[in-house]
Formats: sequence, C-alpha cells, structure tokens
Amino acid sequence: MENLEDLKILAEQWSHQGIEYLQKIPPTQLYVAIGVLLLTTILFLLSIRLFRRTKSNTVLLSGLSGSGKTVLFYQLRDGSSHQGTVTSMEPNEGTFILHSEKAKKGKIKPVHLVDVPGHSRLRPKLEEFLPQAAAIVFVVDALEFLPNCRAASEYLYDILTNANVVKKKIPVLLCCNKTDKLTAHTKEFIRKQMEKEIEKLRASRSAISTADIANDFTIGIEGEVFSFSHCYNKVIVAEASGLNGETVQVQDFIREYIKP
Amino acid sequence: MLEQLLIFTRGGLILWTCKEIGNALKGSPIDTLIRSCLLEERSGDVSFNYDAHGAAYTLKWTFHNDLGLVFVAVYQRILHLLYVDDLLSVVKQSFSEIYDPKRMAYDDFDETFRQLRKEAEARAEELRKTKQVVGKPVSSVKKQGQVSKAGLEGGNKKMSEGGSKKDDGDGNKAKVGNLTNGHSNGNHRMEDDSQKTDLANGKENTTDNVALDLSKLQKLRSKGVRGRGGIRKADSIGNKGSKVTAAEPAKKATKKNRVWDDAAPKKEKLDFTDSVDENGSNDHVDIAAADQGESMMDKEEVFSSDSESEDDDEPGSDEKPEAKKKGWFSSVFQSITGKANLERTDLEQPLKALKERLMTKNVAEEIAGKLCESVEASLEGKKLASFTRISSTVQGAMEDALIRILTPTRSIDILRDVHAAKEQRRPYVVVFVGVNGVGKSTNLAKVAYWLLQHKVSVMMAACDTFRSGAVEQLRTHARRLQVPIFEKGYEKDPAVVAKEAIQEATRNGSDVVLVDTAGRMQDNEPLMRALSKLINLNNPDLVLFVGEALVGNEAVDQLSKFNQKLSDLSTSGNTRLIDGILLTKFDTIDDKVGAALSMVYISGAPVMFVGCGQSYPDLKKLNVKAIVKTLLK
Ligand SMILES: Nc1nc2c(ncn2[C@@H]2O[C@H](COP(=O)(O)OP(=O)(O)OP(=O)(O)O)[C@@H](O)[C@H]2O)c(=O)[nH]1
Ligand SMILES: [Mg+2]
Repeated sequence: MENLEDLKILAEQWSHQGIEYLQKIPPTQLYVAIGVLLLTTILFLLSIRLFRRTKSNTVLLSGLSGSGKTVLFYQLRDGSSHQGTVTSMEPNEGTFILHSEKAKKGKIKPVHLVDVPGHSRLRPKLEEFLPQAAAIVFVVDALEFLPNCRAASEYLYDILTNANVVKKKIPVLLCCNKTDKLTAHTKEFIRKQMEKEIEKLRASRSAISTADIANDFTIGIEGEVFSFSHCYNKVIVAEASGLNGETVQVQDFIREYIKP
Repeated sequence: MLEQLLIFTRGGLILWTCKEIGNALKGSPIDTLIRSCLLEERSGDVSFNYDAHGAAYTLKWTFHNDLGLVFVAVYQRILHLLYVDDLLSVVKQSFSEIYDPKRMAYDDFDETFRQLRKEAEARAEELRKTKQVVGKPVSSVKKQGQVSKAGLEGGNKKMSEGGSKKDDGDGNKAKVGNLTNGHSNGNHRMEDDSQKTDLANGKENTTDNVALDLSKLQKLRSKGVRGRGGIRKADSIGNKGSKVTAAEPAKKATKKNRVWDDAAPKKEKLDFTDSVDENGSNDHVDIAAADQGESMMDKEEVFSSDSESEDDDEPGSDEKPEAKKKGWFSSVFQSITGKANLERTDLEQPLKALKERLMTKNVAEEIAGKLCESVEASLEGKKLASFTRISSTVQGAMEDALIRILTPTRSIDILRDVHAAKEQRRPYVVVFVGVNGVGKSTNLAKVAYWLLQHKVSVMMAACDTFRSGAVEQLRTHARRLQVPIFEKGYEKDPAVVAKEAIQEATRNGSDVVLVDTAGRMQDNEPLMRALSKLINLNNPDLVLFVGEALVGNEAVDQLSKFNQKLSDLSTSGNTRLIDGILLTKFDTIDDKVGAALSMVYISGAPVMFVGCGQSYPDLKKLNVKAIVKTLLK
C-alpha cells in the first residue's frame, strides 16, 4: 500500500519535471519531433499492413520457350493474342481481372499474372518470382512435345524441387497447350511421359547435389515409380489452346487458388 | 526491298508489322535473332545474318529501352539497303510518340511508316547522288559516302555507327576517329575481298583476327554447316592468324613455368607425367589411395561472400576524380528524382570502369568490350529509377548479363545422359581436347573418379599416341582408380584407337568411355586434322574442352580456333563443336576468374567441371552466382 503511494508521488514529480523540461524546448522543435514520431508510426503501420498481406495473388506462367506462355498471358488478360508473339526477353507482368470476368458484376479480386520467359538463359528470373507465387501454370507444347520432353521435364523437376514450392505447397497446373491442332498429344500421354522422365532425373539428380542447380528437395516416394501424385504440392493436368482462347481449365485453376 | 519491319515489346508481344510488304518471312529470323544474338549479349553488334530455310536475311535492330520496345528490320542480304539504320531510327522516334502501353493495335502507324520510308529512301538516294557529284564530300556526308562504299560489302559496323549515333544528336566530332578505329574491328561481316585488303593494309593485329574468328564462329553456330567458299576463306584467315600469333608460344611457356612453380609442392600427388616407367616398377602405387573421399562435385559449395557490403560503394572510387567532383549534390539529387533518360555519355564512364574491372579479373579484352557494348545498348535511353546511381544501374545490368551468359543453355547433367545412353545399350563417350599441358589426363582421372562414385563403370581410352609417356601416365591413373584402360601404344591412328575402345566398351558393358587425346596448339594443322577425324569418326556424346583457368586473352583464340578448325575440317555433314568446358587449375587463380566468362561467351558451351586441386576429389561444378560476384567485385 505504502509502496503504491510512494510510486504515485514519484510519478507526479517526474511528470512535473517532464512538463518543465518540455516548456524549455522551443515549440518548433517540439512540433518537428511530434511530426517525426507520427510519421514513423504511420510508416510502421503501413509496412506491417503490407507484409501482413499473406494471401498472395501471384500466378506464374512458366515453361519452355515457345510453349505459348505469352499468348496465354494476353488471352487471359485481353481475350486476344493480338498480332502474335516473338521470343520474350523480359517477363510480362500485370494485375487484372481475367478477361472472361469483365462482364461479371461485383467486386472481383484481381490476379497478378507473370509470364516468365522460357529461354534457358533467362531461367534465373523464375527464382525471383517463386517466393511470391500462389500458383504456377507450367505450359507444355503438346504439338512439339517429344523433342522437348526431356528439357521440359528437367525444368518442371527444378520447379517441383524448389524450396518455395515444396514448403508452401504451391499448386502446379501442367497445361498442355496448342490442343487446337489435331496432332497434339493428349494430356494423359504427356503426363505419363513426363513422369517417366522425372523418374530418371530423380535417379541421377539424387546423386548430385549441386551448388548451382538448386534442387533443394527430392521428390517422390523412395522405392516407388514416380507419379505426380507423390508430390507434396498438387499437380494437376489440363489442356488449353492459347491461340483459340480455349483457356477455361487454366482460368478455373487460377480461380481455385485466387478466390475472386 | 525491305522484307519486314517489326515492332515488339521486350516481353515478346508484336505491336506492329508492316502489312503492305506482305510476303511472309522464311523460317523464323526474329526468334533466331533474339535467341542467338540479343540474349547472348551480342546486341552491341551491328547486324545479324540469318541463313536458313533458303533465306539469306540481314537483320538490324534498335531498342527503345525506356519504353521496352524493340524495332527490327529484315532485308535480303544481297540488297545492301543503305537506309535501314536511318529508317529504324526515325521509326523508333515516331512510334515512341504514339506508343501507349495500354494500346495493342497501331494500324494508324501504317500511313506514318509509308511516309517515313519514302523519306528515308529519298535521303539515301540523295546521299548517293551527292557522293557521285561531289568528289570529296564534307563531314557527315563524307561519312555516309564511306558507308555506302564499304557497306556494299555487307552489313558492317561503320554503317550503323554512323546511323545510330546520329540520332543521339551528339555530333559528328568523335565519329571520324571512331570510323577509322572501327575499321579494323567492324569489318568482320564483310566478304572475301574486303577482308583481304584489310589484312593487307597491315591494320590487323591479334585481336582483330580474333574478332574475325569470333563472328565467324557465331555465324557458324547459327548456321550449322558452311559452304565450300566459306572454308576456303576461313583457311586463308586461319593462316594469317597463325602468323600473327606465332610469337605467342614463347610467352606462353614462361607463363606456364611460373605456374608450375606455384603448384610444385603439391604436384607429385596426381601428376604421373614423369614418374612412370614402362616396366611397372610403380606397381606398388597403393590402390587404396584411390579412395580419397567424396568428389567435390557432390559437395554443396559454401561461397564466402567476403566483401559484399562494399560492393555498392566501389564504383565511385573507380571513377575519375573530376567526375566525382562534378557534384556529389547533383548526383544525389538525380538519384532521388530519377534522372530524365540515360544517355550514351552518362554511360561511358561507368562502363569504362566496369570494363577495366572485368579485365583485371582476367576477362579477355575483346569480350569485356562486347559485353559493355551490349549493356550499353540495353541501357541507353532508359529512365534511371529513383534512388539509384548510374554506376549501380550499370553494374546491375552487367550482373544480369553475366548471369545470363554463364547460365547453361543445355542440361549439364551428365549422369542423366549416361543413363540415357545405357538404356540404348551403348557407352557414353567423352572426348577430352585441349592445348598442351593444361591437365587433360589428370582431370580425366578426376572425372572418372567422380563417375565411379556414382556407380558408373568407366573405361579409359589412351588416344594420345603423340606425346611419349602419355599412355603410361594414363595407365597409372587407371591402376589407381582400378578402371580398365584401352591402349594400343603409340603407332596407331588415335581415331582408330578410339573406335576400337568404344567397341570394346560396348562388349564389356562399360557405361562411359573417357577418351584422352594429345594436347595440341590450336594452330597445328595436322594435329587438328587428326582430332577432327577422331571426333567425326566416333561421334562422341560430349566433346569436352579442357582449358586453363589462368588464360586471359588467349582463351578467345584457343576456343575459337578449336571450334573453327573442327568445323572447317569436318568431313561429315553435321559439324561437331565443343560441347562443354572443363576449367583446370581453378585453385591457382584467386579472383581472376575471367577465363570462365571468356570461354563460355566465345563457345556458347557451358562450364561443366572445374578442376580445383591436385587430388581426385578436387572437381567441382561452376557456381555461377559466385563467379559473377567475383567478377564484379
Ligand atoms: N497452334 C497453336 N499455336 C500456339 C498456341 N499458343 C501459342 N502458339 C504459338 O507458339 C509460338 C510461341 O508462343 P509464345 O507465347 O510466344 O511462347 P512463349 O512460351 O511465350 O515463349 P518464350 O517467350 O520464348 O518463353 C507462337 O508462334 C504462337 O503462335 C496454341 O494454342 N496453338
Ligand atoms: Mg513469351
């Protein structure tokens, strides 16, 4: 009890001293100090808000060069591939609501779509975007599939074993593109072939751990033939034709993970 | 006639093409241009030749870096259009005025283009006339006159130097000097006669020749096989080149000696070059020694980033003092507001500093120059971001470029390839090639050691039937590693020995055959012919170039000549070039890692292994990020 009284007196003394001290300071300085204090707190709160936005809305389009990512990007954004494309030298990026949703009423959450160039010299770019990805669309050229099967599988393997993808269980859509052409392979065939390739990679890559090719994790189940269902994250197979605008399955996939 | 003019974004969306020209391009020149020139850090070049699908196009391009646009003109090479550079630059200017990132169709540009083209054609015609009328034209006209004369021989540097610099508005003063300078360097795309006259002029020097080789190689890479005329031409140049570089070997020898001394204390460990004698008196070499632990290929490398923090401050100190004085304040101000647009003059200083820095890291001068040109092309006209300095922007762009170059374009997962070959029931064949004394056999043994650790059965083939002692040296390694060795003494043709070795390996079920070949100087015609024969006859899965990490400017010469000779001397239809690089003596070079960059840039082949010591496990993969960091430190 007495202690409390003592404390009270002490506090009063201090507050007196404090006020006296404040009065000694010229008012301009005081205002500046208060201003700075306010500013920092506002900035602090803002930054917290920014970092708190855990729900990312980023979807990555990846895949080998020429698989049709850029066409797909503009299909999803504008509903048209305009006058065609050439090999990308830089990523295409945009935050928008999908073209097909334009007619819909109400507030729709926009998607941040990134088309990462497939040229192998530009691969390191993907790593920059992976940490913020909520979902990945891996585009495969179903027309020219066989000659590219191995390269595509290696690329996909690198993605599936990436630390970000494994830890955050980022879902991957294996999108077999260019199905408008009759000679395009079916998605079943493509899935099987790629699983086979990845099985081989698993054998050779588990042996090497390189400093460069950052295979952070291994995938699949020990002693079993690899299947995409063994992955920690979801791997779904779909078909699309960027050129003809048949992208329903891709849109559904995106909207499953980026709720409107 | 202009075949096509395209405007597209760096993201790859075509914004506008000239519809009235109409006829479709043969093949895919644009994609090829992007893949094998612009993305290979060669955008500083003047033009790109595309030969495929029966087309012989020349492509020229210009960037609008601030808007992220690319303008490409395609025309038939035989036509030597003189107005292309001019046209590109006016098109760039007018298009950038109407460009809006939200707009995707620019049909209204058709009319503008028609006008611009007419004007450009008229200007070119005008110039041609004035050239004919006036004997000695003045200043800029003179420049153009020269251009049209030399330009007739094909797209060349001078031309666009005139053209592209013009629109900068930075005057003509510097250009005359530049022209004469560029003369010896920029002629590499001209045809026979002009090359010869140029050589006769005595203007050439070693780097010049390298420049020739370089561009030729590049052409070769995109083209695959070359015609007969090309071979003749290359030969004549090759000979000239050999004369010029004749003085080199002496220099090289001394250099090597010095290195030997450095490495002397450790040397005896793996090098059996001298210690062997035929009678097997070294039978006692203890086999157990072969188990020296895990190959470093498999170890995660921890890269010590020594002085990362000072990275950003450094460029300043490299700049000239007066540049520094010019205003700390204004530079701070600029960095906050974000400066208007980067101009060529802004980039000069930092790029020069950067080039010098690269050269102190032992990057070949030529390549450092080319890289800087490419970075310059990608930055010119770009807006400087807020809170950044020019030097750090340049450094960032260079870093991106370096990472792009060093990132392998093809898989370097040898084990995967070995397994694939195994499925086809054939051995995977690796041929080790290189100049003398770089450590081919030693590193072959290291690769064998690494493969053995991954349960791959290995056979060595001693195809160095040239240097005495070579077979014994390899035998010693084979004994220590307990792998079979195929040898036929010194009499035989190495190509035949290799063939028999591969047959033997197929019989006894070896997974991999490692073929050791004689070291040879790149100018040694008979030996190069023998190597070409070996490679053509056996069609190996991997031609691995073994090179010293110590080489500087010479790296360019070695690799380009090797590749060139291999293609010139190839007999079969499909030319085999170097597929991969093994860098040796990486432990002796400290931070002078430039050879890795030079070699990769020149050959386009990835560094697959790095030899970094004297024992079997001392074999690593190249850590691209670490190398880039070291190069820019
Ligand atoms: N038939 C058909 N062709 C397509 C389709 N989608 C894309 N293409 C063609 O494929 C080529 C490459 O398409 P891009 O979108 O530029 O390829 P990309 O994946 O962006 O390639 P990079 O930018 O190099 O990574 C173009 O010529 C397209 O016309 C499709 O659905 N069907
Ligand atoms: Mg693209």
